[in-house]
Amino acid sequence: MPYLSEIQHRTVIEPNGDEVGKLADVAVVPQGQFPAAQWAILATRNGEKVLRWADLAPEIGHFRLRSRLANTPDQQLPAEALRLARDLLDKQIVDTHGAKVVRVNDLQLSEVEGQLRLVGADVGMRGIFRRIGAERLAERAAGIVGRKLPRGIIPWHLVEPLQSADAAVRLTVPHAKLALLHPADIADIVEEMTADERVAVFEQLDAETAAEALAEVEPEMQAAIVSDLDEERAADILEEMDPDEAADLLQDLPEERREELVELMEKEEKQDVEELLTYAEDSAGGIMTTDYVALAGGLTAAQAIDELRVRKPDPQLTYYLYVVDDEGRLEGVISLRDLVVAPPETKLTAAMDPHVLKVEAETPKEEVASLIAKYDLLALPVVDARRKLLGTVTVDDVVELMLPRGWKKRSLRSIAR
Amino acid sequence: MIATVDRLRTGTIKRRLLRFLVIVGPGIVTAQAGNDAGGIATYSSVGAAYGYSLLWMMVVITLSLGIVQEMCARMGAVTGKGLAELIRERFGIRWTLVAMLTVLVANGGVVVSEFAGAAAALELLGVQRIVTVIAVAGFVLWLVARGSYRVAERAFLAISLVFLAYPVTAFLAGPPWGEVLRETALPSFRLEGPYLFLFVATVGTTITPYMQLFAQSATVDKGVTVQELGAARADAYIGAVFSNLVAYFIIVVTATTLYPQGITVQTAADAARALTPLAGERAGLLFAIGLFGASVLAAAVLPLATSYTICGALGWERRLGTRFSDAHQFYSIIAFLVVMGAAITLLPVPLIPLIVGAQVLNGFLLPVILIFILRLVNDRSLMGEHVNGPVYNVLAWGTTVFIGALSLILLGVTFLGLGG
Repeated sequence: MPYLSEIQHRTVIEPNGDEVGKLADVAVVPQGQFPAAQWAILATRNGEKVLRWADLAPEIGHFRLRSRLANTPDQQLPAEALRLARDLLDKQIVDTHGAKVVRVNDLQLSEVEGQLRLVGADVGMRGIFRRIGAERLAERAAGIVGRKLPRGIIPWHLVEPLQSADAAVRLTVPHAKLALLHPADIADIVEEMTADERVAVFEQLDAETAAEALAEVEPEMQAAIVSDLDEERAADILEEMDPDEAADLLQDLPEERREELVELMEKEEKQDVEELLTYAEDSAGGIMTTDYVALAGGLTAAQAIDELRVRKPDPQLTYYLYVVDDEGRLEGVISLRDLVVAPPETKLTAAMDPHVLKVEAETPKEEVASLIAKYDLLALPVVDARRKLLGTVTVDDVVELMLPRGWKKRSLRSIAR
Repeated sequence: MIATVDRLRTGTIKRRLLRFLVIVGPGIVTAQAGNDAGGIATYSSVGAAYGYSLLWMMVVITLSLGIVQEMCARMGAVTGKGLAELIRERFGIRWTLVAMLTVLVANGGVVVSEFAGAAAALELLGVQRIVTVIAVAGFVLWLVARGSYRVAERAFLAISLVFLAYPVTAFLAGPPWGEVLRETALPSFRLEGPYLFLFVATVGTTITPYMQLFAQSATVDKGVTVQELGAARADAYIGAVFSNLVAYFIIVVTATTLYPQGITVQTAADAARALTPLAGERAGLLFAIGLFGASVLAAAVLPLATSYTICGALGWERRLGTRFSDAHQFYSIIAFLVVMGAAITLLPVPLIPLIVGAQVLNGFLLPVILIFILRLVNDRSLMGEHVNGPVYNVLAWGTTVFIGALSLILLGVTFLGLGG
């Protein structure tokens, strides 16, 4: 996720590579939740030149004009446009609730829905260090004393810029919704916020969006957020999460808090989560989900398809359909394709593949991961000692295990840049 | 406050006078606060070492001080913002860090000199340095933790009025007034290390960087508007004259009493002897009370004010009465200044030279702040029609260049042995 300080002063070059100037500023019209970058202000030898943001193509370390500067039409900034560096950077943000006053150390931009948008104001120490080009250095120094450089981003939709550039920028009462964004985008933004802001966001989002966003947040932060939330609210969000993710999260909480929250959950979700909580965190049982599709072996293919039509399972659950006996013991597996092409009257026990790869709940998660990787599986069923089907571990659950910590995030960020 | 001021804005002459007095105030108070440990030690040293010959300098410095304070008051009234805030908003974070580091070092020096002043004062009464320093540090931190300054501030301000004893003593001591006036009007200069050292110290203690910051925020806090610039201007000049009048008389008194006897000020006892014509045997007690009051007042206010300024510029929470975790930078800077001030004072160094040294440091750093002030006050997008006029600019830049040059010459003389 780039920051203004990282792209400001970058060289701008002609399509043929000649330098024409530097990026001096970025302008937006402060409307909507996260205003898109619409204009680029170039500092050229002949003074400032306003272009459309789309006239620039970001490349590594510089921007390239899409056509020659001479052929790029000059733009006029409308009166309501805000220049990020001139009008926002270093200005005060005043919280309308209290006297709390902070300063805009940097501005966070992010590719949202295909456009570079202003998503947050960095008011933390990290922003100060970044501005003076010492973020890495400070990060390392903090690491030496065993601490993390704190982040402090106020999401832009909570900030209300004023008409006059000289006045302070005001922080509005949190009302607007982040919910319009993809949960993964929300998670990225939320991770950069101050603890208070983070909690405020999760208080406002609807439970479903909150659950999806929370699932995308880094594990340690998940626990912190849930700890800070009001109990009822936290329980509501946990109910909306996949049971395995909810259980993982609860695993990271202090025991007392965990029991409180589980107690507050609805009966059905509570059972699932309680069951999952009994398994060790690093075992197949600990990472599995209890959401799966199991079909009785006595059904015919046609009956099975009817059953699916009624149950309407989530798409990721339909790759493998598990066949179980009357006691819930795993007998085999059948793919959706095989089910559909099988003659309608065939019994599932005849159409299924009885050689199903499975693990027990106590199997270490690394082993699960390597099985999934080795056999290119999308999911692996988990059974107890009596072969009773307990749940499944999906490839999603183990992908993060197999990658080095933080790899996923970092690679996405470098792409966004 | 602003509401009261608004009501006063129109009305009878009597009300207008009252309003004038509300505006005239910040300058006089801040200027008076300038006569702290650093001021007393430096002015006493100047009079004792060079007699009346540096009196002319006070006239020049008073004009410079008035000009600088007026610019700050004008910026406060026109923009409604403090100096540090303006630096942040116009020059960005890097320059802000430069400016705030300057403020931290300069004010750190002043804090040291206040601790040293308090220690020197009580040493006169037989109290050991370590006892005073720890007690004062504890008291200051207690005030911060308690979160209220009002009573303490007034009590100590009252005590420091003791220094009005200097003008009285000046008349009792009966200096040769003709010579005093002649030296006041006729500049003389020497290119010697110790002379330049005291010259820079005097500039540093009279036009301290922190006073400019305070003058501006006091104007903002009073809600002075552009329409009232006239009164704010008068306040700046009246304040400069008032505070330097006391300074002037300190030099006259020490020049009359100590200089002829060849006593240079090395300890507080030396400085205290200057008050003998007024207080006789009790000169030491009187001096100790005044010095202690002025020092503790400044030691209590400065760390807080410094931290407030820095946190405002860097966007950190800065309220008293908040939990430590909510404003840890604010409290940490205060604690750092107090502990640092106490620790340096506990080093086995003579106190009065330590104090004067801190004023020289302020003199060195002053041009940095002055350049920021001048750049800002001449910024038309900020000040509109209230930018400096050409004559004013010549005087103000002249002051800056003069002080900068003086500091460089002092460095040259001290380290390279220039001018013998």
